[in-house]
Amino acid sequence: MRFLFGLTVILALLLGASVSAQTEPPVTDSVADSVEVPAIPPPAPVTDLKALDTDDDHGHSVTLTWTKSVDAQTGQNTVNGHQIFRWYPAMMDSLAGVDSLKNMRQDIQRAQSANSVFRRALGVAEDALEDLTSGGRGFDALRFTVATPQDDSTFVLDRAFVEQALRDTVATMTTHLPLLPDSIKGLQASFEAAIERLTEAHQAYPEGGSWNLVGLAAKGDTSFVNSGNKDPMSGDFIKDFTDLYYRVDVVTIDETIRTESAIVGPVQSEGQWFNGGRFPVFWAVIIFGFLTMYFVSRARKGDDLYVRPLAGIEAVDDAIGRATEMGRPILYVLGLGTAADVATIASFTVLGRVAKQVAEYQTELIVPTYDPIVMSVAQEVVKSSYLDAGRPDDYKENTVFFVTNLQFAYVAAVNGIMLRELPATNIYMGKFFAESLLLAETGALAGSIQIAGTDEIAQIPFFIVACDYTLIGEELYAASAYLGREPILLGSLKAQDWAKAAVIVLGIVGLVAANLEWGFAKTFLEYFHVTN
Amino acid sequence: MSRTAVIVFAGVVALFVVSWMVKAMVLADVSETNIVDAFMVTVAAFLTLAIYSFLYKDNPYYKFAEHLFVGVSAAFWMVQGFWTTIVGNLLPRLSEGLATWFQQPYQGGGYDLGVFVFPYSIMYWIPVILGSLLLMRLSPQGGWLSRWPLALIVGTTAGLNFVRYLRSDFIVQVAATFVPLFGRDPHPWQGFGHFFSNLDLSASGQFVALLSNWVIFIGVFCGLIYFFFSKEHTGAFGKASRVGIWILMITFGASFGYTVMGRISLLVGRLTFLFRDWLGLIS
Amino acid sequence: MKRQVPLVLVLLFGLFMIFQYFVPHESSEWVYEFLLDWIYIIGIFALALGIWSLYVVSVDKVKTRKHDWGYSYVTLAGLFGMILFGFTARHGDEWGWYLIFVACVLLTVIMSVQAMAARINKGLPLGLAGLFLLGAVLIAVFDDTWSFYFYTQEGLQSTMFRAFFDYIMMPILATIFSLLAFFIASAAYRAFRARNLLASLLLIAALIVMMRFFPYFGENVGEFIARVSSWLMNVPNLAAQRAIIIGVGLGIVATALKVILGIERGYMGKG
Repeated sequence: MRFLFGLTVILALLLGASVSAQTEPPVTDSVADSVEVPAIPPPAPVTDLKALDTDDDHGHSVTLTWTKSVDAQTGQNTVNGHQIFRWYPAMMDSLAGVDSLKNMRQDIQRAQSANSVFRRALGVAEDALEDLTSGGRGFDALRFTVATPQDDSTFVLDRAFVEQALRDTVATMTTHLPLLPDSIKGLQASFEAAIERLTEAHQAYPEGGSWNLVGLAAKGDTSFVNSGNKDPMSGDFIKDFTDLYYRVDVVTIDETIRTESAIVGPVQSEGQWFNGGRFPVFWAVIIFGFLTMYFVSRARKGDDLYVRPLAGIEAVDDAIGRATEMGRPILYVLGLGTAADVATIASFTVLGRVAKQVAEYQTELIVPTYDPIVMSVAQEVVKSSYLDAGRPDDYKENTVFFVTNLQFAYVAAVNGIMLRELPATNIYMGKFFAESLLLAETGALAGSIQIAGTDEIAQIPFFIVACDYTLIGEELYAASAYLGREPILLGSLKAQDWAKAAVIVLGIVGLVAANLEWGFAKTFLEYFHVTN
Repeated sequence: MSRTAVIVFAGVVALFVVSWMVKAMVLADVSETNIVDAFMVTVAAFLTLAIYSFLYKDNPYYKFAEHLFVGVSAAFWMVQGFWTTIVGNLLPRLSEGLATWFQQPYQGGGYDLGVFVFPYSIMYWIPVILGSLLLMRLSPQGGWLSRWPLALIVGTTAGLNFVRYLRSDFIVQVAATFVPLFGRDPHPWQGFGHFFSNLDLSASGQFVALLSNWVIFIGVFCGLIYFFFSKEHTGAFGKASRVGIWILMITFGASFGYTVMGRISLLVGRLTFLFRDWLGLIS
Repeated sequence: MKRQVPLVLVLLFGLFMIFQYFVPHESSEWVYEFLLDWIYIIGIFALALGIWSLYVVSVDKVKTRKHDWGYSYVTLAGLFGMILFGFTARHGDEWGWYLIFVACVLLTVIMSVQAMAARINKGLPLGLAGLFLLGAVLIAVFDDTWSFYFYTQEGLQSTMFRAFFDYIMMPILATIFSLLAFFIASAAYRAFRARNLLASLLLIAALIVMMRFFPYFGENVGEFIARVSSWLMNVPNLAAQRAIIIGVGLGIVATALKVILGIERGYMGKG
């Protein structure tokens, strides 16, 4: 019963709240310039206050800088911290600017959740009423929890009462529910209109409006970033291209004793089109892109690019031969990566090579997958490898199949395959996590030859212990270039090596720079400093 | 089925029933739905044992648990994905009608381009269409269309990974290698004589700090040399590459040893379930 | 058309993502956020492909009477049972005919698979499937202690869905995870039979780090081991990790670039 009464009351309150405008007294800031005899003398204000749009960002943010008050850590040393204030306009006639926006936002969210809660509650009430009147369920089965009043007076919950209450609830809800979406829309529209007028309202400075605290800074700080939200609906929104005014107060331990700075403004926030803090990455992209293209084009021209042999890669060919001799299948595990993980993409190339040889030798291939998109790609890869090998008819659609999207269920299934199909060779290439050891150990116990390759550093030790050959980190990518047997793929390996050589050279130069304090050293280290 | 298998099976069933009954009696005081609860706990315990039986060898009970697990987990993700992603997040953004039908608050809106307001819903119809194209794989003719959504996924993440890893795995790591090999604050370098006459072997001493920096420096460079693919590992280069692989192996050993201890705790957790929640032997 | 369009798409989206990394402006952020949403949504659609594959492979096993084909029914029952639980819920505490309904649906599925697999006598399983289906439909129509939910999430909270999650999925998951303890023991044993210098190095480092957790060495030796092992974790480990990370990073970057430029296209098949 309480539930029903409560629901009706909440309904009425909410509807009332969301439809009628709220009037709240304007917020006055607590600057106590009327304090009479301060125990602590007021500190000197901060000077040189500057406000600029925050650089290298998406907008909605302003950076303030200042020179410390002479009483901060020096002088009288009375400064305990800084309080940063921003001027908020009084936008609507009787409302204090941004506070009214906050209220409207909350109203919208409240009304939206009420909408779905009420819909569900209405369903429950309707069902209950129908059951009660049709006799589908007994009165007892409705299971109302009735709280007994404290004073021990008898509280009779009779059937007619419940029925009437249910009927009332359904009636109230059905009349008010259709109104809710409209009131949400109304609220939304007035909210959007208010946001629209925000820029204009700021131009009224200093008429009306009020100073609101937007942040704190420690006593040693000389800067503050007032970072707003870009979404008007969520939290502190700062509108771009709008005049903002700031003030920084120094406060003492007694917060009523404070000194205001001069006011800065107007300042406007805006988004930038280039992030200067990422220049080091920018140059790396250009240089690395150029290196790769250069070596790829050299490979295309037919230059012979030497690549040293890798034991794990040569083992792949031997393993396929061994499987053929034994008449047993090859298990290829692509790991838990998605089709977007670069390790998985490298693994696809290796799979293509393996599948082609498997098709030539007419061995069986088993590829259980963890991700459905990886499955579709792997099917495509294996299918075209069979086509390349000239045996499209031998390709079976179920060579590559999906198991499940849960890590350990996948492990259970693959372990089962290892023990039942007894593959001659297990190949693990791609991204692996905690399951690496479960897979590799089961495979080792089943007596298969195992070749693994992953870029997950934490899993490499387990593969090294349990597998016959392990491609460590970058070797996986080398393998994909190497096994793809296309010279242009090898071109990029050369670029990678050049980049590593560059690391070594830069490392030595940087080391010298870090140890000897040359003038150039500092700038050199700056080149590698990525901000933002 | 062999006779032994039948006997074992009968034994397992009998044990199951006994466990169910005993557990139901034990739970009678604390729970109204004791019979159902006892059944579920017993199922969980037997599935746990079925998985452990794999350690002995592959057997029908493990196969049962494994196949059940695969089916249930695949369905779980599908149902979860349907309700939370499709119904919870996608449909309310597609159209108001769909949102109302699924009793979700409509999440419309648009991006103000100045000239007109670009509705968000269009941006969510695109992945719906691409997702449907992906399902074209199942048709023999339209399979090639499924490459389009794939191209989107691969292209987007390749671009993202390109810049992201160039920064985090390359530039940041290179910068971190610039370590002081001779003293710096709090142990400024004061010449070899001073260094050796005040040799401090404690963990926080200058000797250990400098040794560590040298090991990092040499380790990184020899490790990188090991990963050179386009040059033969002979001569001095080969020696550096040997040192590189040694350091790699020491690292792998250390992280192996470190993980061993962590894994033991998982076993302890499972045994706690068997002995406390099911058998009630420990409290 | 079949090959060019996807490659162009990869190039466009790849270049855009590189480009947007350097453009902090809101509009680039806006497209970026949508693209990530898209990938997520497409992934959910793909799950249907996965479920289909699981179903086809299971049915195929039954059809070809591959060894252990009987267990495919367990998979199918788990799959369809869990899906059914996700879309139905009981109204109150009464069970009614709910479980019988579920059983009927599962038997219908099993019998129709059986009918598909049978070479002769398709009639019997087909008839049984029809019978069970009829039973399920009748219960669904006349039993009102539970109902279907196609547009609200009651299914996710239903008793059976939760029970399957809590008492079947979670215990098996935790148990398989805990198998790691046994497997790591056997892996450690494998490592003990060090065959060469490299394996010995690995073993010694592993032993030192493991010994740190053994309380048998007395205070001085114990303290020394703890210091050596934390030095191993902090210094050579850091160096080697950094070398691997730089290598892997370059590998990823190079492969990503090859993908964007359409040089690496192994993932796309050739047909």
